[in-house]
Amino acid sequence: MSEDELSTKGNPLSRWPESRLTRRQMIQRMGVLGIVLPTLPAILEACGEEAAPAVTALSKDTSGSITVWGWKDSLNALKLVDSEFTAAYPNITFKYVERPPAETYRNIQLAIAAGSGAPDVALIEDSHLPQYVHLGALADITDWVKPYVSKIVSYKWTWTKKSNRYYAMPWDPGPVAVFYRRDVFQKAGVDPNSIQTWDDFYQAAKTIKEKTGAFMWQQAKARNDGRLFETLLWQRGTGYVDKTGSVILDKDRKVQQTLEYIGRFWTDGLAADQEPWTDPWYKGQSGGTSATVVEAVWMGTFFKSFIAPKAAGNWGVFLLPMWEAGGSRASNDGGSVLAIFDQSTQKNAARAYVEFHLGRDQSQLLMYEKTDIFPSLKPAFADPFFQEADPYFADQKVRTLFADVAAKIPDAGIYSTDYQQMNSLTTPEIQKYALGQQSAQQALANAASLIRDRTHRS
Amino acid sequence: MGEVRRRLRRPPDEAVAPGDLLLDATAWAPRRAWARSLWPYRWPLLFISPFFILFAVFNVYPIGFSFWLSLHDWPGLGPMDFVGLANYAELSHDTIFWNSMLNAALLFFIYVPVMTFLAVVIAAVLNSRFLKLQGMWRALIFVPNITSMVAAGYTFRLMLDKDSGALNHALAFVHVNAVPWLDDVWWARISLGLLMIWAWLGYNTVLMLAGLQTIPPELVEAAKVDGATAIQAFRRITVPLLRPMIVFAVTISIIGTFSMFTEPYILTRGGPIRATETPVYQIFNTTFQDLRFGYAAAESYVYFAIIVVVTLFQFWSVSSRDSVQ
Repeated sequence: MSEDELSTKGNPLSRWPESRLTRRQMIQRMGVLGIVLPTLPAILEACGEEAAPAVTALSKDTSGSITVWGWKDSLNALKLVDSEFTAAYPNITFKYVERPPAETYRNIQLAIAAGSGAPDVALIEDSHLPQYVHLGALADITDWVKPYVSKIVSYKWTWTKKSNRYYAMPWDPGPVAVFYRRDVFQKAGVDPNSIQTWDDFYQAAKTIKEKTGAFMWQQAKARNDGRLFETLLWQRGTGYVDKTGSVILDKDRKVQQTLEYIGRFWTDGLAADQEPWTDPWYKGQSGGTSATVVEAVWMGTFFKSFIAPKAAGNWGVFLLPMWEAGGSRASNDGGSVLAIFDQSTQKNAARAYVEFHLGRDQSQLLMYEKTDIFPSLKPAFADPFFQEADPYFADQKVRTLFADVAAKIPDAGIYSTDYQQMNSLTTPEIQKYALGQQSAQQALANAASLIRDRTHRS
Repeated sequence: MGEVRRRLRRPPDEAVAPGDLLLDATAWAPRRAWARSLWPYRWPLLFISPFFILFAVFNVYPIGFSFWLSLHDWPGLGPMDFVGLANYAELSHDTIFWNSMLNAALLFFIYVPVMTFLAVVIAAVLNSRFLKLQGMWRALIFVPNITSMVAAGYTFRLMLDKDSGALNHALAFVHVNAVPWLDDVWWARISLGLLMIWAWLGYNTVLMLAGLQTIPPELVEAAKVDGATAIQAFRRITVPLLRPMIVFAVTISIIGTFSMFTEPYILTRGGPIRATETPVYQIFNTTFQDLRFGYAAAESYVYFAIIVVVTLFQFWSVSSRDSVQ
């Protein structure tokens, strides 16, 4: 029911003075109330959406001192905004605690279990966020975060919510595309634009191996981490679980097809057996012994900063190939949020920090320009910076490409409250498959039954 | 000190002048007999109490709390669900947990016999009167033990890489095929064993050295006079006399192997295919990755019970052999 209906049916009450009511009128009026009352909550909610949320306004006088936990690259990005933040909120002091992600999470969990010691604000990856939201460790920020809901890439909100309340402010998305070595493709005579489907990609892999000796990608066998598998499942809108949360690893045919597709690169010698984030892996990328890296936009940061700073001009980017004609060409890997902890006694100052660093186009753009951490605020995508050519990628306009991908990321059952466990139960089975000790079907059946057992899912 | 001693000697029921009642602590002397008997020792007890208080807070309480926790489901926040022995029941058929136990047992047999043997031999050499620069050798062999395991683990990881590692390059130099040190179930266990030997050989050698120095040299000399060769004397006299120390060292190694954490965490991440996941590694994952604090507590208790049983069995098997001899 809309507000119009309210004015025609509800408002007459005020025009009828109580004293002149006849019994009949009374009954009529009760009848009207009977219609209106049950719909009141809906009406009120409709009104609420229009009106500004009732929150205390932040001002220059907002004060407090807060602690922010996170890891190096992201904290360095946040620090770029600090001088402006201090100018806007001179009475808020803050300090950073820098630790690698795994250590940050461990300390958060200890603080949560102990009931004290949690930071006011922490950086949390989307993959870990559902755990904390589900536990109830984060502060409810629904009241002030609502105006941002329509401004931020919608899929980013998926893991910030529980029963329609919001518990975290999205930061960077992880739109995935194929990073490729221009020099290797050229030498092999493969046109990246001709790669439309994953079959094309596989054919290109064979050509490249034949002509240049380079591997198409890097996929560790015994030390596989399952990330590419997840990324490709995400592209197809499937994953560990379906929308209701039940395990589909062994039920959805697409999952097995995907694993077998990755498997072909192993059996045909088209994948370099290198563990991610190790020296041989970096060398494969900087030296061009591997032709592509299927990864999220943030991979560019690492190429430019330390993996292959000298390979400028040798890299390019193309959209993920399709699984079937007209299929999705977008996927996600990683991404993070800033969350305020329920334990925090400085929630106002924390809110000011989070809102200033992530809620303003200028902040997100500044961080993107300087550190390559991708923005999630849609208005930021319209900035001229996105249209600029990126010299590292041989003047390709990769920013608009990733912005397009970010807007089209499908829903998939990868991140959930049990993501860590699902990943760690599945990877040993993938490793066993990669080493030729079991079939893809067996691997997925084993993983699915372990996950069902240990997470009590159907 | 004198004050303490004086009070220690003072009988518990020493008469107190009425005026002193409020000032003298004896006025509050407890009534119960056992407490009264401790009363004279209140000052010494007070001075040693910090240890017991800290021990109670940081050891006894957590041990008790863990047991309480093992009877519950608890994700680390919010109310605990009492589940009785359900965690233990689930644990009884948890393949991943028992796999970690099996891994620890396999690792034990892979490196402990080799390490202990080497420790005895090296200790014997270091104990020899003919060796020059004894102090330097002893220090050198012990250095790995005080090196940070994290640093050593990463170094081993680099050296053992199958493509770019120094070890495989060295093997290629002598025309030996590359070994998948960290990429094969068995080689990964062996690599972990190598790291353990590197880190703990010095410690075990020092234990053996201490043992050797308690053996009177006359025994070996007498054997030699009777015509025994050096090796015979070592096997028949030195090693048997060294047995108590060997038993002690192996016991320490059993506990060390089952509690191994940093080594697999850095070197192999528990892989490949869970081949190097130890019980403590598994407990860590259950806690911090799965957020199942209650289940992890149950795992800890079962793990503890098994170590106790294994250690007792080892003591028993050694002592029963002693009685046969």
